[in-house]
Amino acid sequence: MKARALLIGIVALAVALMPFILSDYNRSQGAEVAVFAMAILGLNVVTGYTGQISIGHGAFMALGGYTTAILTHDHGWNDIATLPVALLVGFVAGVVVGVPALRFHGAYLALLTFAFALAVPQVAKNYSSFTGGTEGLALPTHTGMWLYGVAWGCTAAIYVVTVFLLHGRTGRAFRAARDSEVAAASSGVSLALYKTFAFGVSAAFAAVAGSIYVLINNFVNPDVFGLTLSLYILIGAVVGGLGSLWGILVGAAFVQLLPIGLTSSHVISAEGVPVLFGAIVIIVMALVPRGSAEVLRLAMGLPNRIRRSHDSSTPHSLEAR
Amino acid sequence: MTSRTRLSLGIALVVLVGAVIAASAVAASAIKIPGVTAKTVTIGGTFPLTGPAQLYGVIPKAENAYFQYVNAHGGVNGRKIIFKYYDDGYNPANTVPLTHKLVQQDHVFAVYGSLGTAPTLATRDYLNKAKVPQVLVATGDSYWGAQYKKYPWTIGFQPDYPGESRVYGQFIASKVPQAKIGVLMQDDAYGQNYYNGLVQGLGAAKSKIVDVEKYDATQTDVSQQVVKLKAAGANVFALFALPTQTITALVVATKVGWTPTTFINNVSSSPLFMALAQKAGANVQNDITATYVYDVWNNPNSATTKLYKSIMAKYDAGADPLDANNVYGIANAATMVHALQQAGKALTRSGLMDALTNLNWTNPFLYPGLKMVTSSHERFPIDQQILQQYKGTGWQPFGHIFSHAR
Amino acid sequence: MAAYSRFIVPALLGGCVIFLIVGSLQSSLFAQQTVSGLANGGIYASLGVALVLIYRATQVINFAQGAIATFTTYVAWQLMTWGLSYWPAFFLTLAIAFVGGTLLELITIRPVERRGNVLTVVIATLGVLILVEGSVGWIWGAEIRFMPPAFPAKGIHVGGVSFSLQDLGTIGISIASVVVLWALFKFTKIGLAMRAAAFRPDAARLVGVRVSWMLSLGWGLAAMLGAVAGMMAAASPSVLLQPNMMDGILIYSFAAAVLGGLESPAGAVVAGLLIGAMLNLLGSYVSWITPQLLLPAAFVLMLVVLLVKPSGLFGRTQVRRV
Repeated sequence: MKARALLIGIVALAVALMPFILSDYNRSQGAEVAVFAMAILGLNVVTGYTGQISIGHGAFMALGGYTTAILTHDHGWNDIATLPVALLVGFVAGVVVGVPALRFHGAYLALLTFAFALAVPQVAKNYSSFTGGTEGLALPTHTGMWLYGVAWGCTAAIYVVTVFLLHGRTGRAFRAARDSEVAAASSGVSLALYKTFAFGVSAAFAAVAGSIYVLINNFVNPDVFGLTLSLYILIGAVVGGLGSLWGILVGAAFVQLLPIGLTSSHVISAEGVPVLFGAIVIIVMALVPRGSAEVLRLAMGLPNRIRRSHDSSTPHSLEAR
Repeated sequence: MTSRTRLSLGIALVVLVGAVIAASAVAASAIKIPGVTAKTVTIGGTFPLTGPAQLYGVIPKAENAYFQYVNAHGGVNGRKIIFKYYDDGYNPANTVPLTHKLVQQDHVFAVYGSLGTAPTLATRDYLNKAKVPQVLVATGDSYWGAQYKKYPWTIGFQPDYPGESRVYGQFIASKVPQAKIGVLMQDDAYGQNYYNGLVQGLGAAKSKIVDVEKYDATQTDVSQQVVKLKAAGANVFALFALPTQTITALVVATKVGWTPTTFINNVSSSPLFMALAQKAGANVQNDITATYVYDVWNNPNSATTKLYKSIMAKYDAGADPLDANNVYGIANAATMVHALQQAGKALTRSGLMDALTNLNWTNPFLYPGLKMVTSSHERFPIDQQILQQYKGTGWQPFGHIFSHAR
Repeated sequence: MAAYSRFIVPALLGGCVIFLIVGSLQSSLFAQQTVSGLANGGIYASLGVALVLIYRATQVINFAQGAIATFTTYVAWQLMTWGLSYWPAFFLTLAIAFVGGTLLELITIRPVERRGNVLTVVIATLGVLILVEGSVGWIWGAEIRFMPPAFPAKGIHVGGVSFSLQDLGTIGISIASVVVLWALFKFTKIGLAMRAAAFRPDAARLVGVRVSWMLSLGWGLAAMLGAVAGMMAAASPSVLLQPNMMDGILIYSFAAAVLGGLESPAGAVVAGLLIGAMLNLLGSYVSWITPQLLLPAAFVLMLVVLLVKPSGLFGRTQVRRV
């Protein structure tokens, strides 16, 4: 326990000191890593704790991103002030999606969220007087330092909220729901309520990530929230391993930094990046079952073959490994 | 403190201040221009090498081929051009960080040739605020030329879309008296730009538009729209679409037995696409489009074509020299080289903008007779086009050169 | 309630068919839109059947199905460019697709499946999607290529309505593939073994079925069907052969598979044709459905089907819920 606190402290310190040695460009890259970390954390809440998959978290990022863009661009809001609104919009949208999602088996939900990720940018494109359509909305620019501070500040806040949430009554209810639905129901936990709540929280985190994504790019149009974004969130979660703090950071760094790193160092041509990327995903899925496969197995509520080694009051999924 | 020491202190101070001012003046005169050394000038851009617009990924390679050719012949004012181009997959969320990288990490002198309307819009504020030239962007929206007061560091290259379709409008109004026009347009700014120009060009004849059908860029199938245009009784088909949808529309029109006079926007009228449509069963004879690049197809033995082909063969081997995108790339790169030349030995960013906004130049890779003319308040580098008609297996230019009346 | 619900689907389907026929008799525009919609529907249907096949075998939605179809279509194009004529290239491609699909399962899915679960496999298929789609662009470039049609693409005009043999062929081939599959599952030993492996893997193992090989076989067959769908699609003027050719199709194929009940090849074909026709009619007669909203409409359709009747048009199987 002490060692874990120490590790978290060291990571936090490293993240806090990093911007002072980075160039301004690398600071905004760092901020993008935070964006993915937040979205991956959000996915973790819903998949790691209540056993529901989402391939469509980019859609929730789009909702948050457009909330921020429209409020700042059309209504003159301060950027930071839009973040709580995005959080709320994301939460409400998550609840709305979460209610029907209760009814679906994993593969069905995967399909529906996939379609959702494709549908949302189209809707944004359709109401162009509101969203700027394909030409998008341009927003004020910020320095890399500002972006880095805001992005990692939000990530830290979201992380702390998650830990508190999952350590408390809610977390116990989530785990009960995941480990045994019957037990959860018989002990008076309202399964539907908690699962829906988890979806709401998850979407809310993704929405904040989307807001900051838009602030970093100071631009938004439907192409920004294409299917690739949703896939990257999922891949980041899987590659890092759904369920550990390190995983979230590693996954976020993987999806954000690897493609740019590879092309700009001319290791591989731009056309080759997707090939390598796809191969890495498959290899990781095949070779690194711990932290991804095992947690996902728990998440699916399938026969649990892992020895339960954790103290039951510790959330499996945020165990810092 | 004695008055003497005070005096000597005062003198020392004055000397010091003077020295600092002199030093900073010297430093100022030798201030480094980003991306420029005695031997090189570094420029960079973003392009869709992957993703939905990958079709245009050949352009930066052709541009780089031209720069290689220029470098092999001594460069520009003794400097070799280094061209860094990155893949943004046509996604502005990639364009922005990559453009930041070009400016902050690669220290480019100018952002050159970046492709796409949304990517250009996404980076325009940043580059103008940083006073980094964003030049010869590969998109035909009218913003680049029209909004120069707000964005003085941005300038386009190709004829703007509304200007192009004004030509079609004028031609239809004067030459096709019985026209009943059916329009198929992409349902976004790209299509709207073209549509607006057509209406302007038609003037009083705009009532001749009998039906307007739209499609979404994610849709490849436009047969439903084509069927409706035919049913509306149109005998002129104005096609403002991307290449895929253009080919589809041409094939479907033939299949359903519709034989209108067809106008195809320049972006989608590459001879490669026309050949493909023809193979797939479309009757494309007598279709009309506007062009501005040099006609390498009908003049295989001219000096310009030979030069073009030799550059492509040597520096961009494997590319198809008959792809209009490659001719575009060479013509665009030649403009950049000309502007760098004009900006002179003491190269500055504002010098480059001055050169590009004071063009009066005949680009050998443009259609003969066209002239690139710009001024401080006329920021559309190519403002003239010629119509051409598809005959047999290729485009044949006809008539006179149209100027985009503005 | 149960007594009525047996008639709802036949009634709905009958209603749709009558609507299409009556509408087509009323107006030649309506007829034309229906016919060209059905031609697109044939493409959605054949890819939908491939999805159904893998779902039946493994309970996995194969997100890479479209990309695999594109890849095999490029293989066919490459063979023809090297000088093979159409049908030899067609069948050689099917053979390559079968081997390739089987190998893909062996190399990418099986190691994942052995250790993981349905969800990790879904993610692995997303990995395959990125990998295969990327390699198409890498190997063949982005140029639009010409894929010759299997049947003459020339328009045939009957009473104000135009269609081509190619359209009919596309629909015919998607129906034929369902019949072949049905025969395979119904009458052959291997088909029976595949069904057993999918639905009762443990029992199948007991009677000596090599379950994992049956899954590879399922992938091989699905890749073949995908290749057929791809070759039909690429020859259709409304798709054309290019690296992202399946992007605009995959979602409608998913919708067809879902509407058909995800486990029913025949359901996928009927649903695919219906979706093709209805999308065309919606786009052409309902003005508030803008082109941008067609894709969200497919999403809404899937959502409604899964909420109201998750077993689809012809489904009898229970939907597996959480």
